[in-house]
Amino acid sequence: MQDLPLPPGRCVRRRPPALARMRGVAIAALSLSALAATATSAHAEAAKAPAECSALQAKYPQFKGKTLINAINPHTPGYETIDPNDPNKYVGFDIDLGETLGACLGFKVTYKPVTFAALLTTLQAGQADIVISDIYATEERAKAADFITYSKVFDGVLVAKGNPKKVTGINASMCGAVAAENTGYVEVPLIQALAPQCKAAGKPEPEIQLYDNNQNCIQAILAGRADTYINDVNTVDGAVKAYPDKLEKATAVTIPYSVGIAVPKGKTDFRDAVMAALVTLQKAGIHTELLKKNGLPVENLEAPRLLVVK
Amino acid sequence: MELFLHYLTLPYLIQGIVFTLAATGIGLAGGVVVGLLLAAMQLSRFKPLAAFARGYAVIFRGTPLVLQLVFVYDALPHVGIKLPGLLAAGVALAANEATFIAEMFRSGVVGVDRGQVLAGQALGMTPRVLMHRIIAPQALRSMIPAMGNEAVSTLKNSSLASVIAVQELTLRSTQLASSTFDFFSIFFASGLLYLVLTGAMSLVQLALEARFDLDRQATLRGLARWLPWRHAAPPAASPSPLEDAAEVSASEPEDALPTALAVPAAPGVDRAARASRLADAPVALRINGVSKAYGTQAVLKDLSLSVLAGEVVALLGPSGSGKSTLLRCINHLESWDAGQIHVGGHRLGYQTDGQLMSPSDLARERGRLGVGMLFQQFNLFAHLTARENVAGPLRWVHGWSAEDADRRALELLNRVGLAHRVEALPRHLSGGQQQRVAIARALAPGPSVLLLDEPTSALDPELVNEVLDVIRRLAVEEGLTMVISTHQLRFAAEVADRVVFLSGGRIVESGPALDVLQRPQHRETARFLRVMSADVLPAASTSTPA
Repeated sequence: MQDLPLPPGRCVRRRPPALARMRGVAIAALSLSALAATATSAHAEAAKAPAECSALQAKYPQFKGKTLINAINPHTPGYETIDPNDPNKYVGFDIDLGETLGACLGFKVTYKPVTFAALLTTLQAGQADIVISDIYATEERAKAADFITYSKVFDGVLVAKGNPKKVTGINASMCGAVAAENTGYVEVPLIQALAPQCKAAGKPEPEIQLYDNNQNCIQAILAGRADTYINDVNTVDGAVKAYPDKLEKATAVTIPYSVGIAVPKGKTDFRDAVMAALVTLQKAGIHTELLKKNGLPVENLEAPRLLVVK
Repeated sequence: MELFLHYLTLPYLIQGIVFTLAATGIGLAGGVVVGLLLAAMQLSRFKPLAAFARGYAVIFRGTPLVLQLVFVYDALPHVGIKLPGLLAAGVALAANEATFIAEMFRSGVVGVDRGQVLAGQALGMTPRVLMHRIIAPQALRSMIPAMGNEAVSTLKNSSLASVIAVQELTLRSTQLASSTFDFFSIFFASGLLYLVLTGAMSLVQLALEARFDLDRQATLRGLARWLPWRHAAPPAASPSPLEDAAEVSASEPEDALPTALAVPAAPGVDRAARASRLADAPVALRINGVSKAYGTQAVLKDLSLSVLAGEVVALLGPSGSGKSTLLRCINHLESWDAGQIHVGGHRLGYQTDGQLMSPSDLARERGRLGVGMLFQQFNLFAHLTARENVAGPLRWVHGWSAEDADRRALELLNRVGLAHRVEALPRHLSGGQQQRVAIARALAPGPSVLLLDEPTSALDPELVNEVLDVIRRLAVEEGLTMVISTHQLRFAAEVADRVVFLSGGRIVESGPALDVLQRPQHRETARFLRVMSADVLPAASTSTPA
């Protein structure tokens, strides 16, 4: 029973401390938040989930007791960063999601921090087992890894206070502007695709500066090197919160992608197990809890889909 | 400021230093090992090894480190080599540093004076001993500053390991900046931590430089003599160079013993005795039809010469006549194209079946047969004191105990009049003193034949006599077999039993010293002798053209 993924607060209190310690960090955090919130409803939902998780562990025993490596680009507050209060830990929605999936399937998670562009290559090289790092599932990326999507994408347009270049989204307003982006981000080709449109309007093409983490993109705007940074809206909101006098969100845009968990190609049993566990967690409302806990909008939630490209 | 101090002391960042140092350590240590191998390959006589080392350098020096890191981390797993991040970083750093370290080793080795290598070979040092005792100590000394540079650059380069998820200082700093938005405080703190690390490395470098500074060691030894508990030592030496110079000249009469002075005074008597003694002496050295050419330039042409045990032969001849080459062929420091050379009945450098020996066997054979050599440029081992120059080879080549070798060195240095300079480095000795140390060094193992290659030509005129006196005594007192190439006619007349005149790689004239010098039979010899003696008397030479 100690492998149950969803311990309500009361259960934890009854468990011997040694067993409680064996559980993932996120689970402990989750149980605390569950305790603080609506204890009864959480308990009601949790009653079903453990049974399904033990069924999954019975069906996929090969992951039980393992320690799997999650490759992350820990530069996205809300999703994955190190914990400012205890830098030896990682925190964020993706971290919680990974640990909860692990608890459900019986594996533990360790982390490998890499650049965004190296997330999938690290997975391909076998240096990581899974990637849960706010990465958008695209056809292009699905050539390198299989994706299980779990969240909608809303992008925000980060600009300097006052929006001096009047950027209103990934559109003609960006002609002649300088955009900071991370290497490998899906926004890069979308911005590049504006070139013909700008040319037709007789305006210069948008210029793209490539960095390797969010913080560098934000610093590029603060330093006046770039005019805009378009990325996940929550990341943009986080930046505005950190520098309210210097930055603002011009607008939000929708991007036709979903966020996905990447798993190695060809490991179909692992892919299926993660997918099944994710379905279970969503059904039990845990996914929503995790979004709330990390201050992310619950509308982000999306039913899991597989994106597999031959 | 408060934030800066907070991050400066944050255990998370401090622990990152451990990874930084680990990656640097693996990189440097591996780089030194692989670098040594590469340098050895490049210096090797086997061409394919040298070519391999060159190819390695082209690849690893010619591609960015960050690519090499990613290659080791992400590409090698595809062929089944999956290294943990830290090790992958260390391996990539090592592979990269190795090319630079190899070049440092190589230039350090090549930078050691070629003459010292020749001298070591002549003393019978195998390539291994030569590398260990003579080349490496000097090469490593000259490498310390460059190595310090390399260590600092490896430490800084280790920050690139952040791209392959090694939890070192830079990766931790960027992650921390992303989660806290305290961009500048964190990077200033991390920059200061790097400065502390590189600063510590610079201090280590300075300490090593001081530790291995030969002059400083000499100063310490010098100063130590003034310490109260060292007063038991004989008060012979004076540390000031000025007084020292005075002492050298003052010690001259002491050097030249009365018996030695007597030789030139009564040459006739001695010559008769020597001649009768030599008449029964066995052949010590036989040169039979030796020819040698550098490319199309013939240096020795079918040259034959026999030297008896105890005989002193002076080789005379214009520059380029082949004197030095002949001497170097005798102890096989150079190879030749045709003919045979026997020393003490052995073909030095050849196995019994006539095959050439390996360099190590050749060296051992030189030591065994005992062919000592003096060089025009002295070729003392620059990093060793006068005493060690003499005692070292006795220990390394002939297996003497440290005590015996020391005693022998002191005894010989005393005999060449340098008892007060035993702890001096070659660079602190005058040319004449250096050549006298070189004589002591050549004599130490008790050679059967001594080859002297223009032993006084590099000396200032006023220093020539102190060296010639010593050689003169060797000829008379020791009964050593000697072949001397020289331009000192008077010296040849006094010391040599026989004079051999070389020109264009051939023996033009040979005979009893005084006969050849006073009544040369060949026109070329006569002309050479005229020019050489004219050189001694400039007044006479200015009057002749008129």
